[in-house]
Amino acid sequence: MPTKVNLETIDLNNYRYDMSRCIKCKGCYWVEHTYMPGMKFASRCPSNVWNDFDSYGAFGKMRIGTALVEGKLSWTPTLLEVVYADPLCGACDVGCKRNLDLEIELSLEAMRVKAVQDGAGPMPAHKKIAENIARTHNLFGAPHGSRRKWVSKDIQVAEKADVLYFVGCTASYTNNEIAQATGRILNASRTPFMLMPDEWCCGNTLQSVGMLDEARHLAKRNIEMVKAAGAKTVLLSCAEGYRMWKVEYPKLLNIATADLPFEVVHLAEFADAALKNGSLRPTKPVNARLTYHDSCSISRLADPWTPWSGERGWMGTVSPKLKRRRGTQGLYAQPRNVIKAIPGVEFIEMIRTRENAFCCGAGRGTKEAFPTLASSSAKHRLEEVKEIGAEVLVSACPWCKNNFAQAVQEDGHGVKVMDFSELIAASLGA
Amino acid sequence: MISKDELAKIVGKENVSDAPADLLNYSGDHSLVPPGMPECVVWPKDSEKVSELLKWSNKNNVPVVPVSSKEHFNGGAVPRQGGIVMDLSRMNKILEIDEDIKKTRLEAGVTWGQLTSELAQKGLRVPMPLLPHADRSVLSDFLDREVPTNTVYDYGEPMQAFEVVWPTGDVFRLGSASVNGYPDSGSHGGNPSGPGIDFYRFVQGAQGTMGVVTWTNLKVMFATKKDKVFFVPVDDLAYAQEFLYRLLPRRVGQEVLLLNRTDLAAIVAENFPADFERLRATLPPWTLIIVVSGLSRRPDEKIAYEVKLLREIVRNEFRKLVPDEALPGFPGLGGKILSLLRNPWPAGVPYWKNRWQGGSQSLFFIARPEKSQKFVEIVESVAPKHGYPVADIGSYIQPIEHNRACQVEFTFFYDEKNPAAKSRIAALYKDAARALLNEGALFTRPYGDLAPMVYERAANYVMALRRVKKIFDPNNIMNPGNLCF
Amino acid sequence: MAIVKEAYKALEAIVGAKYLSDDPVICEGYRSGPAGYEAGTGYERVMTKIPGAVIMPRTTEEVQKIVKICNRYTVPYVPYSTGFYGPRSHPHIENALLVDLKRMNDFEFDEKHWYAIVGSGVIYSQFQEECLKRGGYVVIGGGGAQASVIANLIGDGWSPLSHRIGLPHRRILGTEMVLPDGEIVKMGSLAVGDDWFWGDGIGPDLRGLLRGYTGLRGCLGIVTRMAVKVLPFQPERLVPTGIAPNTALALPEKRVKWINYIMPSKAAQVKAMYEIGKAEIGGAVTKVPLFWRAIAKAECKEEFWDLWLKETPETVANFHIVRVLLIGFTSEEQLTYDENVLSDIMMELGGQARPTKPSDESWIKNADSAGMWLMCGSYVSVDYVIETMRQATEHGEVYAELKKKYTPPLMPDHGDPGWFQSFELGYQGYSEFLIYWDQDEDTTGVDHFYLETSKMNIDHRFYTALIGPHQPMYLTGPKYGPNYHEWMLRIKNEFDPSWVCHPPVPFAHDEFVERAPWMHELKTWKTPQDFPYPAWLKTQMAAEAKAFRATLEPAAKAKK
Repeated sequence: MPTKVNLETIDLNNYRYDMSRCIKCKGCYWVEHTYMPGMKFASRCPSNVWNDFDSYGAFGKMRIGTALVEGKLSWTPTLLEVVYADPLCGACDVGCKRNLDLEIELSLEAMRVKAVQDGAGPMPAHKKIAENIARTHNLFGAPHGSRRKWVSKDIQVAEKADVLYFVGCTASYTNNEIAQATGRILNASRTPFMLMPDEWCCGNTLQSVGMLDEARHLAKRNIEMVKAAGAKTVLLSCAEGYRMWKVEYPKLLNIATADLPFEVVHLAEFADAALKNGSLRPTKPVNARLTYHDSCSISRLADPWTPWSGERGWMGTVSPKLKRRRGTQGLYAQPRNVIKAIPGVEFIEMIRTRENAFCCGAGRGTKEAFPTLASSSAKHRLEEVKEIGAEVLVSACPWCKNNFAQAVQEDGHGVKVMDFSELIAASLGA
Repeated sequence: MISKDELAKIVGKENVSDAPADLLNYSGDHSLVPPGMPECVVWPKDSEKVSELLKWSNKNNVPVVPVSSKEHFNGGAVPRQGGIVMDLSRMNKILEIDEDIKKTRLEAGVTWGQLTSELAQKGLRVPMPLLPHADRSVLSDFLDREVPTNTVYDYGEPMQAFEVVWPTGDVFRLGSASVNGYPDSGSHGGNPSGPGIDFYRFVQGAQGTMGVVTWTNLKVMFATKKDKVFFVPVDDLAYAQEFLYRLLPRRVGQEVLLLNRTDLAAIVAENFPADFERLRATLPPWTLIIVVSGLSRRPDEKIAYEVKLLREIVRNEFRKLVPDEALPGFPGLGGKILSLLRNPWPAGVPYWKNRWQGGSQSLFFIARPEKSQKFVEIVESVAPKHGYPVADIGSYIQPIEHNRACQVEFTFFYDEKNPAAKSRIAALYKDAARALLNEGALFTRPYGDLAPMVYERAANYVMALRRVKKIFDPNNIMNPGNLCF
Repeated sequence: MAIVKEAYKALEAIVGAKYLSDDPVICEGYRSGPAGYEAGTGYERVMTKIPGAVIMPRTTEEVQKIVKICNRYTVPYVPYSTGFYGPRSHPHIENALLVDLKRMNDFEFDEKHWYAIVGSGVIYSQFQEECLKRGGYVVIGGGGAQASVIANLIGDGWSPLSHRIGLPHRRILGTEMVLPDGEIVKMGSLAVGDDWFWGDGIGPDLRGLLRGYTGLRGCLGIVTRMAVKVLPFQPERLVPTGIAPNTALALPEKRVKWINYIMPSKAAQVKAMYEIGKAEIGGAVTKVPLFWRAIAKAECKEEFWDLWLKETPETVANFHIVRVLLIGFTSEEQLTYDENVLSDIMMELGGQARPTKPSDESWIKNADSAGMWLMCGSYVSVDYVIETMRQATEHGEVYAELKKKYTPPLMPDHGDPGWFQSFELGYQGYSEFLIYWDQDEDTTGVDHFYLETSKMNIDHRFYTALIGPHQPMYLTGPKYGPNYHEWMLRIKNEFDPSWVCHPPVPFAHDEFVERAPWMHELKTWKTPQDFPYPAWLKTQMAAEAKAFRATLEPAAKAKK
């Protein structure tokens, strides 16, 4: 008897099949075997490296999720930890889909939605963030009025332009250097850009922890504002923000990415295109042995969204056919093209790259609720940087940057941590 | 007290003997193991009889020593606690030869002489240790884990599924011969493992203490089409080992072995002492023999690519070695060696090790090849302490599987009819064994006096082994006093 | 009733609180099913339980202490490396201690002597990469690159690469094991010293306790470290390329090459394998079932079924592919030689080479077993037996014939006779028969087919991998050996007198048949009144059987 099914995470039953078909192959845990580097750096699952019990890997969570949807488990602190101590980096989803067609990431999201629906979740630290956003439209509870203070005199912001630079909470408040570098890059390429007339948080943390109603409210509001502003492109320098706008907003509104009234572009894509068309010319050498960390939200998690609903029937087949998101359209090439174009850079790849990258462990509410998970993940990733002998670590997400920078400070690695925007800006002499 | 009549009821009167001449025959062998007399010898004709005999032995608490060969060199079949010798030489049929699935099935009494000539008629051969005696049981030698001279295959262990009669008297087929009705079955005995547990492992190296193997399936190979024998004179053994570490993982060569001048002379000499002494005086200290062969298809091309690499490695990395198809001063040696390597040592003449002085005792073990020079030095330092000339030590190094390991064998030659000489050699043997053991020599086949020496260092292993033995031989009737039992 | 408090405290003292848990959420994460290898069967539903607690030791000494405590307090324990082998790797009794060995991942490599020492937590793809870095390679067992090296080597351990590398039993060198009663036994060269390089016993070989055909499924102790043979490969690098799901190793074509041949008939296909074995060329030679090609092409199950349902019994019966992997171990010239010889053989037999990608998607570093679940969601191999080429080529057809009776619920496969190939250069042959189904359907047919294959093998006098703990011991025992089961039982009783090591294995399948009413009609063999357990286990098994029967009562009532 076919059952109706769709991809909405508001109902964990939509993922009953997926969770109950996990074969415990740990493709979700290991670096994809073709790329397996050997004994060291063998995993791409920060949760399960932080806690060795199977229950902290996706393969354990699928069993736990099955029990949850069957009403066999009640919410306990351990269950909340298992569900929330996880940056939702997408490694498990991509790893599983190497051979199967199960929706792991969405199952994990749906478990969080259920936690919130049942009144058990999210974590206290997440509730605090939600309160901050409700009150001050940013994660930190900082004055909303200070949101644009990062705009320095040298940066030209247009009143109206085709490109709208969505800055995000971290660049606006804690990492002005990223916003400023981005602004300078846009200026240097002679790309007029505007800002949101009244920029509010993109809602990343809310969506990530299962507070979908609150996230949806922000999504609707932010999209309307961009529409009203008449921008054709929303550009972000924050990977998590990029994912929110490109993937989660359509998902929350049950539309396709292609249905958004604008294009969503990350600075990496923009810079790559600008290099190719000659509008960006990095000429100042940046002499460094440098490596690049693939931030999850612009790589594994970045495939555009298409809503789907249908039926599951014989042998578990679905109809209509569903083209699953496997992270193949992540921004892997673009940042590398840019980095390689910067004079003086000696670029060495990490041992785990692209869809095998090891998440820094900070994003999607993880650092706030589980600081030791974020810290140990970053330190683990820094071991890899040390292993390849890189002096500079570049990423395209302020969450990665801050988490790595803190880890460097605590461990005294001597690695310089830079944002992708800063690297480009340095080479523009900007 | 053994009842000959009861035994006769089982195997027939003509197949039991307690005649002194017969008993003496089984009381000792060429080894240093002190003689021990059985009370009776029996010659069963099939597994059913073997089973009945073992049941009888259990009931009557009579030790049983199984014997399959006509010549013995290691003392594994010398009775230590009396009892009966069970001679399987009547069970000497080659039951099948199957070219398609490349195997033969043979009874315990089938000898090397018998098997190799039968196979040769069909263009087949078996992997062979160095010069097995034509009258030795093929099955016994493989069960004892004799090391083949062929180094090239990624798998060892030519034995496949076999039949064993456990000491309890239970006839048991293991591996894929365990299927009901074998050999009239869908299974053809190609897998030695199982059923359930790896019984075959318990019987390997057991020197007759874990049961009586009555027949086995055995892998056969096709005869090579063409062969080239290379001789490499060697002064520096360590250097030659480095060369083998480099060459053998590249899968060059069929038979590859190292013999010192004494052993090589003992093998190829036409007469003693003149030819032998001449050879000893003129052979290089060591000779590395590498046989490169072409198989049934495009044999010349196979030989060509192997020789090409061999020469490249020598030219670029091991210039001190000079491989040649002739050994200077020894014309025609290539053909002679090939024939020796591919055939058993003939019956009816003294074994090659015994031609010189009448007797010999070999000390062999598994080792890391890079340690072989050290082991040579150890033996060379021990031998003179027992009045044994260093120049008289025979040495043979057999590389194993890409040279991941090797078997090192030292042979001491002496007149086995001379008690004083025998006693001297026994002391030398023990002394050398102890010194080698201390340096990491691995005696996986601890015959005679080696057993207590080795097992005292393996307390946990012995404990576990005895627990296993108890299961299959609750009354300890199988070759008791041997190994650690 | 959880694990007894005194035992729990003692266990905690060994590993620390961080590595021991009896939290129900943690334990739930260790459930065997509902999916995975052999999951979605009656055996999995009836026989597996979640653990009462999970412990994660780091060293052999810790494992030994754990085992001794389990013996003292009669706590059943189950060794577990990845759990990928499915229900048989999971607790079969309530309140068992699951000993998760993943932290035991020490690794050492001796390049000169071609072996590595691994702990139970090391998996194949890690191991293979370390080998490839050093110019070596191993067989990644068909179970997949995610399998634990040790666990796989003591149970299974073969793949198409076994054409040259042969039986896994020979790849086991020095080994360290904790016996069920807590004694440690060291095997091979390790028995007499600190060297792991060699595997033969000192005299008789106790590696016989490690595995068998096909193994003990963890009921005879815990292997903690093992030295494993590495085989020399060739020196050129195999470069990983592509983005998942389309990843592959780019092959250095002058040294490593796959070639696919279409053969005109099955007879030619089989003869090709014989001839290749006889010529002693190649690193892998295998037939490939047609639906594996469909799996390789499909990105989802829907695509698979689109492709597969276009096939017919005729297309399947006429699809004869031989895949050959050539490896230039010696040199480029050697690869050329191998290829020339292969061409000669194919010319004689009418084999046509097909364009073949210069890459390896599967067997060298991956062993893409996970794809087996794509089509239907559930899968098990009902045989994976090494015997001779003669049995291998006949075996699958017999399965295919029997399978017709059970399709559905088994996947429609147009009579495909499974996978076979040459092993050990033709000294052996291999046949594997795989079945697939949707566990949401009535799976009685799956359970029946599984057991019927055992009877089928007995009737046809085939050797089978599903022997020992895989099938009822009282069914297969009298027919193989004969009575191999009695010897296994004696060994089990000797080394595990308390039966705390993974009870009630090896009798778990017997137990399943007794408990599951839908299996009773198949029981044509005799079993003793009581299974030969010690008293505590008898009591517990009886209680669990009763509890299981109680779960069936509501359904039975509803049916009435």
